Amino acid sequence: MVDKSILLDNKKFTVGTFTDSDKLLHAVETLRKKGVKIFDCYTPFPVHHLDHALGYTRTNLTIGAFLCGMLGSLSGFTLAYSMNVVDWPMIIGGKPQDINVFTSFIPVIFELTILFTAFGMVIMFFARNRMMHGIKEDLLDRRQTDDHLLIAIDNSEAQSLSNDEIQTILVNEGAVKVKGNVEAFNTSLTTEEDLEIVIGNNEGAAVIN
Amino acid sequence: MGHHTITEVRQEKFDFSTRIKLIPILLFVVGAILAGVGAMQAKESWDSPREEVTNAVNDHNAEATNSEAPDAHADHHLALAEANSDSSVPSTPEVPSTPEEPSVPEVPSVPDENHAKVAHEEGAHASVEHAEAHGNHHEVTYMTRVWANLLLNSYYFWLFAVSALFFIAVNYVANAGWAVMLKRIMEAQSSYLLVGSILLFTIIFLGKDTLYHWVQYFDGSAAGNPNDAGYDAILESKHWLLNNSSIFFFVPFVLIVWYLIRTKLRRNSLAEDETPGLDMFKNSTRWSAAFIFFFAFSFSALSWLIIMSLDAHWYSTMFSIYNFAISFVSGLSVMMLILQYLKSKGYMEMVSDEVVHDLGKFMFAFCVFWGYIFLSQWLLIWYTNLPEETVYFQARLNSHFKPLFFINLFMCFLIPFLTLMMRGAKRSPKVLLAAGLTILVGHWVDMYLLIMPGTVGDKADFGLLEIGTTMAFAGIFIYTVLHSLSKANLYPLNHPYLLESANHDVGV
Repeated sequence: MVDKSILLDNKKFTVGTFTDSDKLLHAVETLRKKGVKIFDCYTPFPVHHLDHALGYTRTNLTIGAFLCGMLGSLSGFTLAYSMNVVDWPMIIGGKPQDINVFTSFIPVIFELTILFTAFGMVIMFFARNRMMHGIKEDLLDRRQTDDHLLIAIDNSEAQSLSNDEIQTILVNEGAVKVKGNVEAFNTSLTTEEDLEIVIGNNEGAAVIN
Repeated sequence: MGHHTITEVRQEKFDFSTRIKLIPILLFVVGAILAGVGAMQAKESWDSPREEVTNAVNDHNAEATNSEAPDAHADHHLALAEANSDSSVPSTPEVPSTPEEPSVPEVPSVPDENHAKVAHEEGAHASVEHAEAHGNHHEVTYMTRVWANLLLNSYYFWLFAVSALFFIAVNYVANAGWAVMLKRIMEAQSSYLLVGSILLFTIIFLGKDTLYHWVQYFDGSAAGNPNDAGYDAILESKHWLLNNSSIFFFVPFVLIVWYLIRTKLRRNSLAEDETPGLDMFKNSTRWSAAFIFFFAFSFSALSWLIIMSLDAHWYSTMFSIYNFAISFVSGLSVMMLILQYLKSKGYMEMVSDEVVHDLGKFMFAFCVFWGYIFLSQWLLIWYTNLPEETVYFQARLNSHFKPLFFINLFMCFLIPFLTLMMRGAKRSPKVLLAAGLTILVGHWVDMYLLIMPGTVGDKADFGLLEIGTTMAFAGIFIYTVLHSLSKANLYPLNHPYLLESANHDVGV
């Protein structure tokens, strides 16, 4: 997983806007082949193979899920054992109250395994993505959540190509709009005037095509 | 990782050369010889007492008073004793609750305590002593062990073919595309259906007098005669299913219908190779739907008739789905082993890791399914603690089958569960091979536990006979499957979902 904040403050981006996911995918591959480092792609829907094309490795979240499940199993066993055997032994159905009634613990263990894994995954997923309560999303383009697909390239990163060359490649790859100096705006700027200012600023950036 | 799209699937054919043919033939010959030697050994050593086993059984029973006290009382004589209360049960001196069970207070109202006095030690020998009550019809000889082995292996290998046919049908009905590249493997696997059905039916037909004690009962004088000392009300109530015409007519009827549907699906599949179009696909989908509907009922009835009636007094509503779980997970493992074998020989290289991964997921999923079904059966019987139900587990858990019981759980559930959980494991041929073999051996043990206690009982053993019979059947199975595999292209070339399967990628 790429180590980055989703908070895009104080960064300038070169943004290529696409309307076709295949073209976006091809553009990403072309850029990466030429050694350009891509900050991220923003798409309104999942694009197959984009994660491979961007060079993302597999998430380690599954290990966390396994650990959560193990924790849940242990908790379930401890809960059932301490209650039914240690703390308050109750004779149910004439069964002895010791480890031999392990069978009756299995539903508890099973349920707690599921519960811990589910909650653990939700919490870990949000934590890993820095999605805490109250956060507002950063947008580079208002239509990135609607019908446009973006490639964002961080201008402050050292690139193998000049910014103009990158923009030319993006245009050749079929971008409908390429901007050289975009700043993210935050949706916490709720008033229309604020948004106008941000968008107006971005409109002033270099536009090819 | 690139994502070039495959637009054309190369034609491939498996070459079943003489050298490869030798392997299953050798397996069969060696297996048959070993089985013969094993049978001779069993015959010679049959009457010599097996001290250590008897002791072990007693030990386990002593433990049972401690660990599962009410289970130890479980005995089908609770039900039977009402019918033949004067039958001469060899009463063994009762060991009352031993002093080393401090945490178990006497439960006041256990209804079957009186019977427990009579029949404490009988759980492990349930079927044997029951037969004695009926006048020694059910004499366990070494031939019982031979027949039980034949039944075990003919049923187990036949299940592979059945599950392959079921998997083909499910893929058609569900409109699933990912496994189309493997369809010819499934078809080859299901080609054993004919041979397997013939073997299975022959073995049931010839061995029924030795294997099923309800057959002996209904042949005897006590059947239908309430005044007879050997009259068995429970078996009488099951007479509508457990009778000779079920074996003569119902079993072959089901087997023939399945075989005809299998033939139809196979012919459609081969015809599709010649003529492109959707006609065959649509036709196969309809046949598959019909098959699944018929399969649900017929498979249940067959599993009751063939396996569950070995313990004719006992019944479980989970039994047929338990058999289905065994069938499906072991069938998928066999599919995986065939696929890995072909890949190691350089065939089927177009089957991507994604498809292998998904087949691995199926194996994993149905291991869990088996565990779930096992628990569902065991948990309810254990909790409810009805004597006529617990007798089944009594014979398996508090006897010398006890180690196998846990080996079964480990090999069929725990080991594959923890192994196949990892993503890398489902993509590594070596791990998949190991997991597949573990599952197959585990379910062989599972079948052993289903069949042996009800037939051979106390005298069940593991020796050359078991190994030899399994090898011989494996030889027949492998030969049939590879022979069928070599008869057609390895990919169903005009199947509408072939390219979807070739390009299959779920993006994980």
